[in-house]
Amino acid sequence: MKRAMDIETLLQWRRERAEAEAPQAPSGVRLLKLLSPWWEVSPDRFAASVRRLASIQLSFGYAMSHVPQGHRGHPVAALISEGDEERESPARVLYLSVRDGRLRLRFQLAPIPRTDRLFEVTFVSEQPALRPILAAYAALSGDGEYRVDVELPRELAAAWESLKVTDPMPFRFILRPAPSNM
Amino acid sequence: MQFVWFWTFWHWSTESFRSGAVLRSPLQGVAGHWDEWYQHEASESDRRAIAAVARGGFEQRRFVCWLARRWAREARWRNEMLPARFVLAQLSRVAPFDNWTAFEKYRSAYTAPGISAIVLDQESAGEAADVRRVEAIPLPLDEDAAAGNVACDGFHADIGELNTARRAAISLLNGKGLIVFLGLWLVAGIRPYPRVLRVLLTAGWLAVVGLIARLLLGSDPGAQLATFEAILLGLWASLVVTAVAVAAALGVDAWRTGGELKKKLEESQLHLRMSGGLSVQGGSAGLAFCLNGLFAAYRSRPRVASRSWLWERFFRRLRTASQNWAATGIVDADGSVDHVVLEPKIRACLRNPNVTDVLTPWQAEGKNSAIARVAATTRSTGHMAQHARMVPGFASAQRTLRSHRCRHIAQSVMAVGEFASKWQLATNMLALAVTAVMALALNDIRNVLQPPAAPRVVLPGSPSPYYLWVSLDTKRPEAFRAQLESGFWSNRRADVVAYGGADASVRAEIRLTRHGRQSTIDEENGTVWIERRQTFLTREFRAGERIASYPLAHLTNLHHD
Repeated sequence: MKRAMDIETLLQWRRERAEAEAPQAPSGVRLLKLLSPWWEVSPDRFAASVRRLASIQLSFGYAMSHVPQGHRGHPVAALISEGDEERESPARVLYLSVRDGRLRLRFQLAPIPRTDRLFEVTFVSEQPALRPILAAYAALSGDGEYRVDVELPRELAAAWESLKVTDPMPFRFILRPAPSNM
Repeated sequence: MQFVWFWTFWHWSTESFRSGAVLRSPLQGVAGHWDEWYQHEASESDRRAIAAVARGGFEQRRFVCWLARRWAREARWRNEMLPARFVLAQLSRVAPFDNWTAFEKYRSAYTAPGISAIVLDQESAGEAADVRRVEAIPLPLDEDAAAGNVACDGFHADIGELNTARRAAISLLNGKGLIVFLGLWLVAGIRPYPRVLRVLLTAGWLAVVGLIARLLLGSDPGAQLATFEAILLGLWASLVVTAVAVAAALGVDAWRTGGELKKKLEESQLHLRMSGGLSVQGGSAGLAFCLNGLFAAYRSRPRVASRSWLWERFFRRLRTASQNWAATGIVDADGSVDHVVLEPKIRACLRNPNVTDVLTPWQAEGKNSAIARVAATTRSTGHMAQHARMVPGFASAQRTLRSHRCRHIAQSVMAVGEFASKWQLATNMLALAVTAVMALALNDIRNVLQPPAAPRVVLPGSPSPYYLWVSLDTKRPEAFRAQLESGFWSNRRADVVAYGGADASVRAEIRLTRHGRQSTIDEENGTVWIERRQTFLTREFRAGERIASYPLAHLTNLHHD
């Protein structure tokens, strides 16, 4: 390389070198695949998870010495999918609000508190069949609860607007730990 | 109005709960609710106001004080004042309070210290850090019906074992546990007497002992017997009444007060906090959890406890003991304290310079002599607080640790409350012995102080010519004696006794034997006197008043009539 070089030549040289070293731009198919939800990318995996999720029968059994009063809530069947490992961990919905087409939801995993900062939550409908209806991220808040804030499709927003936290939830969860820098 | 934004949050939280948007009550779920409100519901002006408070340490502290002193009193939940310590501890974990310096001390504690538990770290042989501060706070039962009666914060433990400790605390407040405690206190527990009164009462019991000894061993008091016995009975009765009345009053107060505290604890969710994030295996922290459960009930109702001298004294001492007492032992629901692995725990206490007393189960390793042996081989590794100008002088090489062994949690209450009194125990033993003697002597005293009416002679007479029966119509035969004075028959005296059988009666049987020096040949000559007997236990005093006389002829013919 010549020692004396003007700045424009230097920039030209740098751009050419960067273009030569850069990876190939992804194809349109690849970009579409990246945008697809994970259940479309790995349908077999999703089917296996759904089968496992469907097998979870969950409800509170009250064997207390006194008659329980007040709010009871209903546990939500949840499956934590980490790599090849899948674990069942019932979730308790602590807060639920559907307003202006947005879902705000807080839940807690039981019985062992999780420390994952972020989960990708797949909402799987209960009725008429187990199928994915929504995906969102759930971030761990300071007190061990996971928080979801997501825009809902219009039909879901309409259906869930009257939902109370004490009602049986019309969905189940598949949770996949997500990198916390997302 | 100060800190309006916090009222706005509280209103949102309570309304969300009422509308079914949140599962947990505004109190139990305060941290999550705040986080939600702060993230999504707070207005711009609210955020600006919060940011303004966050900027200065003084403003932050002012908010903490306001929350503890003002808001906690005014924002009642289920008609209960809100536990400010719990709310502060919960809020300290969520934004923006997790960065506020004023919340620093609430991040790891409720600032409500109690008796420490000794929970060994994995593979620890007993280190100072194994003595762990336990805190307990009762909250109104969570509206979330799936929530348990006990919740742990900062550690994990078997909820069943924690619940057993809670039930033991309830039993101690108003159940079998309290009965055991009252029994122990009755036997050897200090009474709320001023020193002068205590000395006077002991002197009174000694005076009763002196009077009994005088009556048993001294000269015959003659006419003064009734006076002596009246003084004895009066003194003993007043001492007994005083002792029983004081014990009964204190016992009833303790029962009633314990009942109220029990109700509070039953209607509460007990939050136990222990730092370290341990997953506690085994139930040896049960005794500490149980005592802290009691303390939590007191903290929520301090005025109730002040109605009972026993509870007030215990809780006052417990507050002091929370600085430097530790406890270990498995408790069952009735309050029995079971054995644990003790030696490493003793070593942990010895290494922790803040611990001066330890409550242990009743096992040999808990004896003070055994602790002294462990102390001889244990080096202290803790840090003592030192004054800036103080220079440590190493005059004492060995730590002293007092152990209090317990078979039942009631004994730990005795130990913490410093109820045990050797003086009272000695006085009680004396009083018990004196009362037993007095119970035996009561009939004798009654015969002297309240003699029965003079009896009449009745049938049956003796069927044998060799015996004279003097049958009397009285229900208190021990109060009388019959004496025969005759010139023909030997003079004899016989006690009146209740006889059973075919000829059952209350009578004196006098064997008739001829006089060696008869002054008459009339075998019906003679008089039978009925006398009052004067006795005190084994001592027979001179015969009392003669209350009737019957001619011998009348008595011997009685049978035939």
